[in-house]
Amino acid sequence: MKAARPTALSQEAPSLTLQEFAKFCEFFYRKTGIIFSENKRYFVERRVLERMESSQCSSFREYFAMVRFETAGHEMQRLVNAMTVNETYFFREDYQFDALVSGMLPDLAEKKRPGDTIRIWSLPCSTGEEPYSIAIYILEGWDRADDFNIEIRASDIDSRVLGEAHEGIYGERALSRIPPEIRKRYFSPVAGNSFQILEELRESIDFSTVNVVDAAHMQNYSSIDILFCRNLLIYFDDLARRQAMETMYECLAPGGFICLGHSESMSRMSSLYRPRRIGDAIVYQKP
Amino acid sequence: MALVKATNKSANAQARAVQQSRPSLSDLAVLLRSNEPALRRQAARDLALMSEGVPVLCEHLEHEPAVSVRSVIMTSLIQSRSRAVVEGLIRYLRSENTALRNEAIEALQDMPAEIAPYMERLLSDPESDVRIFAVNILSVLPAARAPEWLHKVILEDPHVNVCAAAVDCLAEVGTPDSIAALKQLRLRFGDHPFMIFAIDAAIKRIGGSQ
Repeated sequence: MKAARPTALSQEAPSLTLQEFAKFCEFFYRKTGIIFSENKRYFVERRVLERMESSQCSSFREYFAMVRFETAGHEMQRLVNAMTVNETYFFREDYQFDALVSGMLPDLAEKKRPGDTIRIWSLPCSTGEEPYSIAIYILEGWDRADDFNIEIRASDIDSRVLGEAHEGIYGERALSRIPPEIRKRYFSPVAGNSFQILEELRESIDFSTVNVVDAAHMQNYSSIDILFCRNLLIYFDDLARRQAMETMYECLAPGGFICLGHSESMSRMSSLYRPRRIGDAIVYQKP
Repeated sequence: MALVKATNKSANAQARAVQQSRPSLSDLAVLLRSNEPALRRQAARDLALMSEGVPVLCEHLEHEPAVSVRSVIMTSLIQSRSRAVVEGLIRYLRSENTALRNEAIEALQDMPAEIAPYMERLLSDPESDVRIFAVNILSVLPAARAPEWLHKVILEDPHVNVCAAAVDCLAEVGTPDSIAALKQLRLRFGDHPFMIFAIDAAIKRIGGSQ
């Protein structure tokens, strides 16, 4: 999650009192699992005041009551969007990829035989940075990778981004966290100061269009061992989150893992999975 | 290379087969008693699509041992929300099974329009535990009448724990009109230090922008 760019507020815009800030943070945490500490007060206050202005509420009390009691939840969703601006790049939230190669894959390997298939699914995969990061981490960081057939599936509801993912061309910004020697091994320069990922890697990943809330569509995916579903469910309402978690439960193999985004908490969605700490990451496992 | 490309052919065929079969209510009721949780989950999803399936699902909850199946049943019931669903779930507020009771509370919280007509009755239930659970439901409900109901609780309910739950809720949804009722409650339970603390905190929170 990254701070959204502040926009201009009118000079007379009021600020939140300490009590209002605390009240808002408690409510927002309960609804989303996102914690804002005191040092984020300016960020939170700016976003809330912007939303108050957009929704023509003259006081925090009026705005809070509107968000709190609005059954449809439209303003709540706008608030979530304002508080969370996501961007995608290679090796994003890499502590989860460390957990993948140091904990999840070795754990799965113990229950499988050499030559078995390990299925990993990146959902949503957007323009491909996540599934390619997974592939690179496995090839670079798991010494038993050659003992298994590792399938990486990558899906998104947006077919346009899937086209870009399959093409695998990225600018400097998306690659900024990749060490130079890794970049040299997996990317080649192309026109426009961009880099294209190795064809062998592009062809090894199965890209497909998937709508998470379409249960029939999701039935095409089963026996998944590791599912990366990061920064998607925060945009769903409570019911859709529950349904998505139950649908994913059917997709996962017993003992399979789900990785959520750092601002998402399973405890607010479902009690189906057991939380596990692996290194710096909290992941969730199907019993 | 360790990476191999995935294919979906067998999975697609399986999904088509599932979509093509349309079992009857009685078939699904039998499936709901299968030994296999995955079959029971599928039966629950299919039953939720039938109006006659709601009572079957509500009834089955108390016999269902698997969390995953209860979860699917609750989600299906939330999706097909109705008075019948609310009436089928309210009974579990009295359940001795804590997990089931909490699941029922969470499900009822997710159907605000349907549970609202039952709130006053639940808040006046003879059992104090049921009244506490009713306040718990209210605590996340986007019900415009929530402050009014909570005022009634703190003015009239004789049980300190019911009032404590209501004070906690008022700290979030209370309005300046709540302060007088909270001050009265302070007099009523003045010998309970935790209540004094909770009431003062709620008044401070409500008065935050005054």
